[in-house]
Amino acid sequence: MERLDLIWQSLPLLWEGARVTVTLTICLLGVGLLLGVPVALGQVYGPRPLVILISGYERFFRAMPILVLLMVFFYGLAFLGVSLPAFGTAVLVFGLHSSAYQSQIFRGAIQAIKEGQLLAARALGMSRLQAIRYIVLPQALRLALPAWSNEYSGVLKDTSFVFAIGVTELTRQGWQIMQRTREVFLIFIAVALIYLVLTYLGTWLLELLERRFGIPGLAGQRREEHGRVV
Amino acid sequence: MSSKIVVRVEDLHKRYGNEEVLKGVSFILRQGEALAIIGPSGTGKSTLLRCINRLTEPDSGRIWLEDTEITGAKTDMNKIRQQIGFVFQDFNLFAHLTALDNVRLGLMKVKKLSKGEASERAMTELKRVGLAEKAKAYPAQLSGGQQQRVSIARALAMDPKLMLFDEPTSALDPELIGEVLQVMKALAGEGMTMVVVTHEMGFARSVCDEVIFMEQGVIVEQGPPEHIFLQPRQPRTQQFLGKIGELYGGTGS
Amino acid sequence: MSPKIGKWFVAVGMLALVVGLVSGIPQAQTPTFKVCSDIAWPPFEWVDAKGQFVGFDLDVMRIIALLKGYRVEIQNLGFDSIIPAVQAGQCDIGASGFTITDERKKIVDFSDPYWESNQAVLVHTASGLNIITAFKAGNIIGAQRGTTGADWVEQNVIKQGINVTLRLYETYPLAEQDLINRRIHAVVEDEPAAKVAVKASKGALKIAGVINTEELFGFLVQKGDPKRLLARINDGMKEMRRKGIWNNLVEAYFGVDVNLDRVAQCYGDLKGWLDKNQPEAYAENLAACMSGQAYKKP
Repeated sequence: MERLDLIWQSLPLLWEGARVTVTLTICLLGVGLLLGVPVALGQVYGPRPLVILISGYERFFRAMPILVLLMVFFYGLAFLGVSLPAFGTAVLVFGLHSSAYQSQIFRGAIQAIKEGQLLAARALGMSRLQAIRYIVLPQALRLALPAWSNEYSGVLKDTSFVFAIGVTELTRQGWQIMQRTREVFLIFIAVALIYLVLTYLGTWLLELLERRFGIPGLAGQRREEHGRVV
Repeated sequence: MSSKIVVRVEDLHKRYGNEEVLKGVSFILRQGEALAIIGPSGTGKSTLLRCINRLTEPDSGRIWLEDTEITGAKTDMNKIRQQIGFVFQDFNLFAHLTALDNVRLGLMKVKKLSKGEASERAMTELKRVGLAEKAKAYPAQLSGGQQQRVSIARALAMDPKLMLFDEPTSALDPELIGEVLQVMKALAGEGMTMVVVTHEMGFARSVCDEVIFMEQGVIVEQGPPEHIFLQPRQPRTQQFLGKIGELYGGTGS
Repeated sequence: MSPKIGKWFVAVGMLALVVGLVSGIPQAQTPTFKVCSDIAWPPFEWVDAKGQFVGFDLDVMRIIALLKGYRVEIQNLGFDSIIPAVQAGQCDIGASGFTITDERKKIVDFSDPYWESNQAVLVHTASGLNIITAFKAGNIIGAQRGTTGADWVEQNVIKQGINVTLRLYETYPLAEQDLINRRIHAVVEDEPAAKVAVKASKGALKIAGVINTEELFGFLVQKGDPKRLLARINDGMKEMRRKGIWNNLVEAYFGVDVNLDRVAQCYGDLKGWLDKNQPEAYAENLAACMSGQAYKKP
């Protein structure tokens, strides 16, 4: 059929878009992780002023719509003479946004670890930092994995906003093909299927990771609501 | 006896809000002695124990471990704590580590032993508590008694000068208490200096060299077990032991 | 020892950070101007089947750059983002079929007009509607939000007391799809876009008529034109007209026999002429190629 042929011919472009979507998702989750874990640790163990500061950070980035953040960082900063490249800006903005959400995932995970273990570590002569590094983090990361996997499928879809600053990802590729071919239905069915595959693939890989690092008696809870722990 | 003094506690005070849980506690403990602290719940026994390695910060009073003042402002507590083994009521094993790793972690990260040395030492301690074959098991795969024995091995591995036991059998099912007490008894027999907060009167009586009866933040009576259990001088001590006797059918078991 | 989950996490995180930053490192400084365009509006600009950026606006931009001795980098950007980006200096030129309006003139500067656009009225072939009956009271008219077409329906139909319903869409193809599904009676949109729609619909849609709105398209730059681009653009357009390039480009993208699907091949085959700095040859052969005639590769 001619129309299916059109999908077939569009696959390279859609694939290119999917590649951008996945790269962006991985990068932003990485940045969100690197920022989110210290933020969570600060929130749980930090001194009061730090806790207030961090809570402000977390509230701010959770309250901001992603599109507004993108605009502020990309155009606002350029207006002030700081010109960030589009993909880098996207990674930064999504990363900051995700770090606020991830910090809540990790905070929950850290608080789920019994305090006695921390005491036991201190009683052995470990410093606070050692206790956090060897006792809290390894457990918190494991406990956080299921919720983290939901964060993945959540941000994967959010990335379609980045075309606002000129990064052409999967949804935009579909949009462009639609403009050229005037084929609305089939193109977006194809796009939807690709998102579905990406979501399943990512979740599956994270489940493998969960199993690889799984420890008897230590499992996080899967949260079913749209990837976010409130 | 005139052997070396390991712990000296002087006039220890601790207050939580309005409630003063320690109202000036003092005692000394010599090398090789096993001291039992008994008394009703909520009378500051556990707080006293935690003050000794400053897991709980005392409000005032002084504590020495041998010649080092623990309560000094500039004391490196991480150094001190390495020398004091602590066994918790609910074991507090590291949930993500095997029995072997639980015992090995402090050796590697605190004592900076190589992995090989640490493993060897850890296995020795696990054998000592009779759990060599459980080295690869995670805490969730062990019974409560086994977990507590691993936690004792974890503390022993650090070569402590002093062992503190905070109600080590209170969280255990009755049939699992024996295996833990046996390990502790052997330890006392080997001459380990130890303080045991316990409700196991039989253990206090047969194993310990000295018994302190505490109530409402003060030491009511102190002496050798035969004296405390058979001829208590203070009416409060008699009352308490009498109640325990009603509960368990005798002042020993 | 248990698997070291922490190390894995840190490694993945660091890798992600590095990839993110490296892919974001700006290109080395070149005497290049950034042209921003929402490359989704054939035939002015669109992404062809090979993923190439093609279209009238983009060719004009490329050729002026050749004639005036600078280079352009074309940035694909959402339509609503282009003016903010030009204002912020993230884009030097906006080239995306912008209608020159007084409102926009307050915040950006425009080149001379380069295109006069009219609105076409699209109807379903089987409906039998003509340009008069299409706007019969009770009918539903589709248009893209914020376009001259929508504005025209508002001003010249609804405000004149004719009781039609105006239904707004995010983009032309969605309105056209509803027209094909016969959920609406007509669509008012840019004439060149309407031609694309008619062709793609394989006979389902036709143009019932054209309304002369005489809106003018211009290229836009930052207010005050700090990089002095407007003179170069205006001069460049004049030069293109003088050399016959302009007519050939118009022929190539808007001609009667043109098949826009050919662009993937034509542009691919002929862009070498631009690399060789021969825009005349490019435009001439492009016009031939797009209408299916013999053409000469560089």
